[in-house]
Amino acid sequence: MSKRIAIVEDEAAIRENYADVLRAQGYQVQTFANRESATQAFTLQLPHLVILDIGLEQEYDGGFTLCQWLRTLSSTLPIIFLTARDNDVDTVSGLRIGADDYLTKDISLPHLTARIAALFRREDALKQPSAKEHILNLEQLEIDVQRMTVSWLSVPLDITITEFWMVHALAKNPGFVKSRQQLMNESKIFVDDSTITSHIKRIRKKFIKIDQTFDCIETVYGMGYRWNTANSNATNHITSSVTDQE
Amino acid sequence: MMRIRFGLRAKLLLLASVLFTIPWFGYQYVWEMEKYLRYGQEQTILGTARALATALHERPNLFNNQASFLPSVEQGKDFYGYELKQAIQLDGLPNDWPNYENRIHLYNQQNSINPLLANINSEHMFTATIAKYGKYLYLFISVVDNKVVFRPTNAQSIVNNDHLEIALVDNSGVFNRYIIANKQSGWLDSYRITHLSGPFPEVANFIQGHWLTTPQGYNIELRIPLTHVGDQIAFAVHDVDSTTEGISSSIGSADPSQKETLGTIVVPSPEIERIVKGMSHTNSRIWVVDQHKRVLASAGDLTKAGGVWQRTRLPDDNTNGNNLSPWQQLEQNWLIPLYYKFLTKPPKAFIDNLYDTQNLTGQHIETALIGDPSSQWRLTKDQQAVVLSAAYPIFINQQVHGAVIVEETTNGIRTLRNKALEKLFSAIIAILLISAVVFLLFASRISNRISKLRNQAENAIDENGRITASITASTANDEIGDLSRSFAQVVNRLSQYNHYLEGMSSRLSHELRTPIAVVRTSLENLSLHDIPQQSQQYIDRAQGGIARLNAILTSMSEATRIEQMLVSCERVNFDFNRVLNGCIQGYQQVYSTINFHYKPSDKALSMNGSPEHIAQLFDKVIANAAEFSIDQKIFITTEYHSKEVVVHISNNGQLLPEQMHERLFDSMVSVRKGSQDTQPHLGLGLYIARLICQFHQGKITATNHHNPQGVTISMSFPRT
Repeated sequence: MSKRIAIVEDEAAIRENYADVLRAQGYQVQTFANRESATQAFTLQLPHLVILDIGLEQEYDGGFTLCQWLRTLSSTLPIIFLTARDNDVDTVSGLRIGADDYLTKDISLPHLTARIAALFRREDALKQPSAKEHILNLEQLEIDVQRMTVSWLSVPLDITITEFWMVHALAKNPGFVKSRQQLMNESKIFVDDSTITSHIKRIRKKFIKIDQTFDCIETVYGMGYRWNTANSNATNHITSSVTDQE
Repeated sequence: MMRIRFGLRAKLLLLASVLFTIPWFGYQYVWEMEKYLRYGQEQTILGTARALATALHERPNLFNNQASFLPSVEQGKDFYGYELKQAIQLDGLPNDWPNYENRIHLYNQQNSINPLLANINSEHMFTATIAKYGKYLYLFISVVDNKVVFRPTNAQSIVNNDHLEIALVDNSGVFNRYIIANKQSGWLDSYRITHLSGPFPEVANFIQGHWLTTPQGYNIELRIPLTHVGDQIAFAVHDVDSTTEGISSSIGSADPSQKETLGTIVVPSPEIERIVKGMSHTNSRIWVVDQHKRVLASAGDLTKAGGVWQRTRLPDDNTNGNNLSPWQQLEQNWLIPLYYKFLTKPPKAFIDNLYDTQNLTGQHIETALIGDPSSQWRLTKDQQAVVLSAAYPIFINQQVHGAVIVEETTNGIRTLRNKALEKLFSAIIAILLISAVVFLLFASRISNRISKLRNQAENAIDENGRITASITASTANDEIGDLSRSFAQVVNRLSQYNHYLEGMSSRLSHELRTPIAVVRTSLENLSLHDIPQQSQQYIDRAQGGIARLNAILTSMSEATRIEQMLVSCERVNFDFNRVLNGCIQGYQQVYSTINFHYKPSDKALSMNGSPEHIAQLFDKVIANAAEFSIDQKIFITTEYHSKEVVVHISNNGQLLPEQMHERLFDSMVSVRKGSQDTQPHLGLGLYIARLICQFHQGKITATNHHNPQGVTISMSFPRT
C-alpha cells in the first residue's frame, strides 16, 4: 500500500511541484491550499505524513495551529514543516509543537524526498525489533541508524531527522572535526553557519536534559565540531593537530 | 578663537535686566514727588507768612515805638538790640559776648560830637556793641585811651575825668541822661543828670556794670533795665586827660545832649513777639522785620523747623533693635547704611548765620518790603540744609511797615523722601532678588529641559545613524513639551522606518524564498524528465542562477539571524586565547595557501560573552583578510592592556578608500572592484563582525597601513 502524503501549502506552484515529485516517487499525494480544507480532509482520514507550510493564506501561523491540532489526533504522525521562514524563533516553535523536522524552502527536491523516505523508514523501523547491525554504540551513546533514534544513557532523545543526521555525522568518527559544511552536507540541508551553530546548541540541550554533565560535542573554534569520547582529551587533540601542522 | 556662548540663560537674564529700570523710575517718581512737596511747602509757608502778616496789618501801635517811621537808619547811630541767648557776666571782658568781633562798631574822631574838639591826631576811639538779654539792655564799650583819668576820690564833679554819657528816651517819652564816672576800676558809678531834684547828680544804680582798665584803655560793660529804654539812645565817651583841663575829646553814637539828636534803638518787640509766639507752633522759624529789615520779633528755631512734614513721622521710627524681624534687621544693619551712601540725611545740626538780625538780607525780603510777597530757596552757609523762606509784607495805611519772614528747612520733606526712597529701595531690592531668582530658576529650567532634550536627541541616534534609544515625550503643555513630543514622534517614526529597513533583508529573503522555491522545484522537476541535450544547459544555467540567488538570500538572512541570536544569546565565561588559538589552527587548515603569522599565547584570558560568535567574528575578518591579501600573509597580533585586549588582523594589499573606514562595517557595504568571482558579496561579513563586537562591548576599526601597503582590522574587547 502506497503512503499517503498531505501537502498543505498556499503557493500553488510549489505545492504542485512537490506533489509531482512525490507522486513520481510513488506516494499518494493530497494537496490543500488552506487550513480549512486540510482540517476537513484530516477529520475524515489522516494521511501517513504531512508537509506543512507555516503561513497559510491569511493565517500567519496557520501551519502551527494545524500542527498542534494534528498532534492532538496522533502523536506519531510524521509532520514536516517546509517553510520560507528561517528564523530561530519559528524553528524552535515548530519543533516544540511537535514537528519531526523543520525545513526551509531552500532544500532541494531530492533532499526532501530523502527526508520523507527517512521518516517513513523510521516509522516502519520502530514497529520492528531493532537489528543489531544497525546500532552504533559509543560509550553512553546509542544510535540506531535503522530507526533513526538516538539514546544517551539508554534514554531515548526526542530528535528530529536533521538533528539525527548531525549527531550521526559527529559520532560516526569520534575525535574528528566536522566542519559546518560537512554537517550541512550530511544532514542534507542548505543553511548558513549560524543555523548549524543553533542546531548544535539545541542538540546539546537535548543531551544535557538527560545528563547534566554531558560535554561530548565540542566546538573546535574556526573549524567545526567534534564528538569527544570520554577517553579522548580535547586539548590533546588540538595540540597534536597543531604539532602536525608545524 | 573660541566664541563666547551666549546661551538662553544669559539672554533671559539680559532681558530680565530691563527690570533694573524700575528703581530708576521709582527714584524719578520720588524726586518728582519731592518737587511737588516742596512746591506745596512753599505755598504753605507763604500762607503762614500771610496769616501772620494778616494779624499784624493795620496795627500801627505795634510799630510806632519801633522807629520804623524813620526813612533811613544810620549805622552806629541807630542800634539794634541783638537778642542774646546767654547771660552776660558784667566783668568788663568781651569774651562772653557772642560774635563780638562782628557786632562791634568802631567810633573814632569822625564820630566826634563836638566839632570843636575833633582832633584827627587823637588816638581816642572806642568800639561798642549793644544787645538784649532778658529784661536788660547790655552795652559793651571798649575804649582806647592813652591816659585813663579816674574821678578823684572826694571829687564832686563827675565830668572832670574819663566818663561815659548815655542818653535815653524811655517808653513814656521822657528824656534822661546818665553819666558813668568811676573812681577806680570795678563796679560802675552811674549818675542821672537830668530831672534832678537837687543840684547834684543822682545815683542811677539801675545802671549796673563793670569798669575794667585794659592796657590800651578801659572797658565798660553795663546793663540797663529795658523799662528805662525806649526806642531812642545815644552814648558818648568823653576823654579827659587831666582833671583840670576839661574834656579833650568826645566821641559818640549821637549827640546825647538833647532828645532830638538821639539815635534809635530797636529791641525785639514783646508785643509782636507775643503774636508771633502764637504762630511758633507751626514748625517754622518766623521773623518779623521792620522796613529797615531789623528784626522786631522772632520765634522758632530753624534746626527744628522742618515744616509741616516734620510732624509726619513714620511709625517705625521708634522701633528698637529688640523685636525686629530678620528683614528689618537686614534693613537696619545693611541696607539703610548702604542707601545713605548716596542719600543725604537731613542734618540735625547745621549752622545758619546768614542772617544778621540787625539787618536781614535776601531778595525775598527786599521784594516783600516793596509790597510783594515772595519766597526763596537757599542753602545754609555750611551747605547742609536747604532753607525755604517766604516773606510777606505788613501794611499799615497802605504802607509797608515791615515784613513777616517764615523760614523752614526742607528737612521734613527730605526725611519723608528718604523714608520713601528707603521703602522703595528695599521693595525694589526684594523684588529684584526674587525676580532674579525666579528668572534664574525659570531660565535654568528651560535651559535644562532643552539640554535634556538635546542630549536625548543626540543619544537617540548613534554616529552610524542607527536609532539607539527612543525619546521620552515630555508631558509639559508648552512649546518645549511640543518640541519634545515632536522629537519623540520623529525619532519614533524614524525608528519605525529604520526598523523597516533593517527588517528589509530578512523580509526580502523571506518573500523571495517562495518564488525561488517555485523556480527551483520547477527546474528540478523539469530535470527529472527527459529533455533534449540542448535544453539541459539552460536548465543548468538557471539552476546556477538559482543557487546564487539562494546564496544571497542565505547571507542576507544570516545577518538578521545573528542579530536575533545575539539578543537571546546567553553569555558564558570563556578563555579568549583558547578561542583565538583554536580559530587560527582551524584557519591554517581551511586556508591552506595562506601563511598565518601568529604567536599563540597560552595565558588564559577570561572573557564574558559568546565564544561561538567570537569565532564567527574571526571567521569573517580572516575571510576578508584572506580575500584581500596579495602576498598570502596574514599577521595576527594581540595587545593586552589593563582594561582591554586588542587583536589586530592585517594583510598586505589594496588600501581602503579614505571615506570607507567608518562605513566599512555597515550593512551591504562592499569595496570590491567589480565581482569577477561567481560568489556574490553583499558586504555583510564585516557588518556581522561589527554586530558581534558590539555585543561584546568591543570596537572594530579598519586602518590602512603602509610599507607594505595593506589594511589592519583591529578589534578591542573589554577584559572582565
